[in-house]
Amino acid sequence: MQALSIAATGMMAQQLNVEVISNNIANMSTTGFKKQRAEFQDLLYQNLRRVGTNSSDTGTVVPSGVQIGLGVKTGSVYRIMNQGDMDNTGNKLDVAIQGRGFFRVQLPSGEDAYTRAGNFSLSATGQIVTSDGYTVQPGITVPSDATDITISKDGQVQATMPGQTTAQVVGQLELATFPNDAGLDPQGDNLFLETAASGSPSVATPGSTGVGTLLQGFLETSNVNAVTEISSLITAQRAYEMNSKVITAADEMMSVTSNLK
Amino acid sequence: MDNAILIGLSRQSAMMRQMSVIANNIANMNTSGYKSQSMLFDEYVMPVASEASPDKSLSFVQDLGQFRNVADGAIQTTGNPLDVAITGEGFFKVQTAQGVRYTRDGHFQLDGSGQLVTQEGNPVLSDSGSPITFGADEGEITIARDGTITTSRPGTANSEQVRGKLGITTFANLQDMKSEENNLLSTTQTESPVQSVRVVQGSIEASNVKPIVEMTNMMTVQRSYESAQKLIEAADDMRRQAISQIAAAA
Repeated sequence: MQALSIAATGMMAQQLNVEVISNNIANMSTTGFKKQRAEFQDLLYQNLRRVGTNSSDTGTVVPSGVQIGLGVKTGSVYRIMNQGDMDNTGNKLDVAIQGRGFFRVQLPSGEDAYTRAGNFSLSATGQIVTSDGYTVQPGITVPSDATDITISKDGQVQATMPGQTTAQVVGQLELATFPNDAGLDPQGDNLFLETAASGSPSVATPGSTGVGTLLQGFLETSNVNAVTEISSLITAQRAYEMNSKVITAADEMMSVTSNLK
Repeated sequence: MDNAILIGLSRQSAMMRQMSVIANNIANMNTSGYKSQSMLFDEYVMPVASEASPDKSLSFVQDLGQFRNVADGAIQTTGNPLDVAITGEGFFKVQTAQGVRYTRDGHFQLDGSGQLVTQEGNPVLSDSGSPITFGADEGEITIARDGTITTSRPGTANSEQVRGKLGITTFANLQDMKSEENNLLSTTQTESPVQSVRVVQGSIEASNVKPIVEMTNMMTVQRSYESAQKLIEAADDMRRQAISQIAAAA
């Protein structure tokens, strides 16, 4: 009985849907988090009566055949990369990106990772690092006696030194853009890695053509919308229930048959 | 005598297939661009029931075909600029290894080289039949109501540039299209242009499966299956009685 296995594919798909939605809700307050969405596709079709075949010797054609679909599968779980809201934190080392681009972060392994979460801190040596202590590329060291740090719209980091009236430039933040942001490989800890699907990064100063600008003292919140997520959760849950009803019905039909004798 | 059982059987196997179709509709309740399907049944009349009663005819049921409900699904807002929903008639054109295929599922993305592709990585075709590729510095992609794609470079004045138009086409007979996997349809018909294309950017067309209709259909199928079963049981009982009574008479 195909209906059983077809409904089972439906239940598995909805289960995954609920998992994706629950991860979105769990990350509702994660800085720089981008929500995901599960996208489904129909499975193979069995042709019982092929559409377009001849139905007689005189060339009449079957106008609509009999095709039994075999269920559903997950096509992709993709990331919606649109802008999150700006949260004013007032922290000098919180930097939000407005528009396209990622901060480049060096992992302890030496690899480059990319992030939208701009909640930076200073390390013991005065370097600008992420909340996990990974260096933000290119490495920028703020002198230990600096009284104030300013990060401009286009990424210039300036430090005010005691006894000096003009701030001194200590470095330049850079942003990396990809042809396909949604193709990046999420690593957890708000970090992404480059993949063949994302394309290779092009590094540029913020504010140049096609690249976003920076905003000091703000953090980009997650772009999860609670109302959308809850309504998707309801839809997914009901779809799951209906698929289970199909399994019950198919089971009852089989039990009718087995009670024949 | 066997006829009653065989007629019941023909009904049961038809019901089994309909159940599969309903199960597939419900499984694809959240599949973008999916169109619900229903079975068409036909009476198959056998002119002569048996040699003993030549003037009686028998009618079996057979599955004649399938009907695709081509009504629009609900428009669901996703906020992704590369999600495009068609309202009204029309299909997107997709280049696959097997040739051009058609789909209502407008969930597109860019691949590593900046080409507009489907979830499988198959290129989406423009109205001139060629793939659409964007440069790495092209930021905002805007898709107008008629499918015209415009890009701009953020931070640059007057950088809007028309990058072509999504290829959207329709066919004379929408039932004569074969469902393939991955939300694709194929047909041998020639493409005919859509008079007024209306697409919505940032949205996806949800499946047009109506859960209540499917659930009630499912109940009907289940009960019809049981009634066919009763028919078979009754025929079986009659035969059993006949055997025992005739044996007693002899």
